[in-house]
Amino acid sequence: MMTPLLSVSGLVTEFPGRDGAVRAVDGVSFDLARGRILGLVGESGSGKSVTGFSVLGLVDAPGRVVAGSVRFDGEELLGASPRRLRSLRGNRIAMVFQDPMMTLNPVLTVGTQMVETVCAHRRVSRRAARVEARDALGKVGIPSPEERLDAYPHEFSGGMRQRVAIATALLHAPDLIIADEPTTALDVTIQSQILGEVQRLCAETGTGLIWISHDLGVVAGLADDIAVMYAGRIVERAGVDDVLDVPRHPYTRGLINAIPGAGERGRPLHQIRGSAPSPTSRLVGCAFRPRCDRAGEACLEEPGEVLGPEGRRWRCFHPLEAGA
Amino acid sequence: MTGEATEVPLVRVDGVSKRFRRGTDFAERLAVRLGAAAPPPVVHALDEVSLEVRRGEVVGLAGESGCGKSTLGRVMAGLLAPTEGRVSHAGHDLASLAGDDARRARLAAQIVFQDPMSSLNPRRRVRDIIGEAPRVHGLVRRGDVAPRVAGLLETVGLDPAMADRFPHQFSGGQRQRIGIARALAVEPEFLICDESIAALDVSIQAQVLNLLMCLRTDLGLTLLFISHDLSVVRHISDRVVIMYLGRVVESASTEDLFDAANHPYTLALLAQIPSLDRRRHHFAAIEGEIPSPVNPPPGCHFHPRCPRAFARCRTERPVLRSIAPGHDSACHLNDASAEAARAVPTSTGDPT
Repeated sequence: MMTPLLSVSGLVTEFPGRDGAVRAVDGVSFDLARGRILGLVGESGSGKSVTGFSVLGLVDAPGRVVAGSVRFDGEELLGASPRRLRSLRGNRIAMVFQDPMMTLNPVLTVGTQMVETVCAHRRVSRRAARVEARDALGKVGIPSPEERLDAYPHEFSGGMRQRVAIATALLHAPDLIIADEPTTALDVTIQSQILGEVQRLCAETGTGLIWISHDLGVVAGLADDIAVMYAGRIVERAGVDDVLDVPRHPYTRGLINAIPGAGERGRPLHQIRGSAPSPTSRLVGCAFRPRCDRAGEACLEEPGEVLGPEGRRWRCFHPLEAGA
Repeated sequence: MTGEATEVPLVRVDGVSKRFRRGTDFAERLAVRLGAAAPPPVVHALDEVSLEVRRGEVVGLAGESGCGKSTLGRVMAGLLAPTEGRVSHAGHDLASLAGDDARRARLAAQIVFQDPMSSLNPRRRVRDIIGEAPRVHGLVRRGDVAPRVAGLLETVGLDPAMADRFPHQFSGGQRQRIGIARALAVEPEFLICDESIAALDVSIQAQVLNLLMCLRTDLGLTLLFISHDLSVVRHISDRVVIMYLGRVVESASTEDLFDAANHPYTLALLAQIPSLDRRRHHFAAIEGEIPSPVNPPPGCHFHPRCPRAFARCRTERPVLRSIAPGHDSACHLNDASAEAARAVPTSTGDPT
């Protein structure tokens, strides 16, 4: 079997809190193959963004990754030197954030920033770097890229800015892109444009993509595989059709049913009772237990990951029937 | 109080325009007068919008950011005065009302805002947040405020014992329920939900949507549901109004709008809704960006992005006309099918 592009196992990230450490990510494992798109789905506070940051070694102090392994193309990233990580980041691994205004420097032109990115990782002339930057902007559908290189971030609209951020991420044709809710702040038509670009680029260049989102609808259209996170753990992961058509974890089914669909207008939506536990609450056993209809005695223990047919995995003592 | 269609609509908006302009000081006005400076830019938030909301109806108002949907909501609530046109509640022009009548009209329309954290005063307890308006307006006596607040909290599914807490002690979904309770406290007939569930997680969104649907039937409320999320709008609304850059482009019953949309913009929007059934979808969106409301394009606002635009769209504003019973659309293609059919192939083949 080929080694996956990215292999994460047993990842634990903690933040110190007043009453002991808070586990934002609690034993997350997944693999990502080249050219595949993994949708990492969860509600706010589920640890999906921290998972992305942990993979890149970008967790801010005092938070830290306390256990696990992140192997990128066979190389262990946890414990790698900051210098090594820096040379990988932006070069072979890129990240796209929700708010492009946070990644772009407001006082430098877009061209300056993109040329800097190119020159930081490769020995090329600034002129050649500028040509690369221009081509990258053109690739993500920015009209007249040559002139736009001299514009400042504030001269772009929100959608355009996000394209600039994506173009910058694509400069070195990275092997892996981690995108943290990059289209959440954008309008539907702009979101579709960006999703289209990303999809095309992944298919053309064989880049692996982790798309972190709370929007199951977007992930359904984009991803090959889905991992559903709840309270710091991946509770279910499988191919997109398996997860959406025959969910095994009660939380996954709850999420799917809560989305307003077609043909049932005005009918009450299925709702998951209660709300997500705060990461500080330290629940014993399955974190979904208080909100789950199927919970029983067994759920006071922490459910381990069950390996089902065709590589499906879930963490539940009372999984839904495959045909239910 | 059921949704009996009466002759007079509950809220009626007639040719309303709203323009925002930055305030100028004396020096700037002088400079403009002498021709030394350009007048400050004007944002055309609403451009001759007409809309009726019948009693007991849920109207969904959808569109992308900057299309004027929130401004329209505020104008309908009486929070903003229109630059042109008139807004009437139950047949009475809001601008002509005075004194007690004006106050009653304002109380009759309430808004639930998007972000409960910024619309609830963080330094006040929930009982004050909810109880203040009915007390100030003399709807309840001071001694009856506490039971009233408890009743309202129960209505929105919160524990009345929580009345002494502060907003930060609640989760996002609970805070939104407080926002709803505050709006209901003055017994409005008309509730405007301005992106009220946009900031909530999916599972919480469903809870709040269910609550709104319940309240609508229990209290006989009329709802204007403003949202960018078309699947939510489809679920809750009886009628849907689509806006683009300050104008209503299409309005129809929910079934008609989702099954037989007419306007090219509506069609494009519908094609973009992310859905669980669209797997490995090939995303192909309408080209271009939403133009700025400071400098909207002439003619049909949508023409620079419209795949079917022809010469007339660039110069003449399309009128919102009825194309079927209860279905209005503002598109030149409707009254010139022949002309349009002829124009489609040439519109893309312009020699440059």
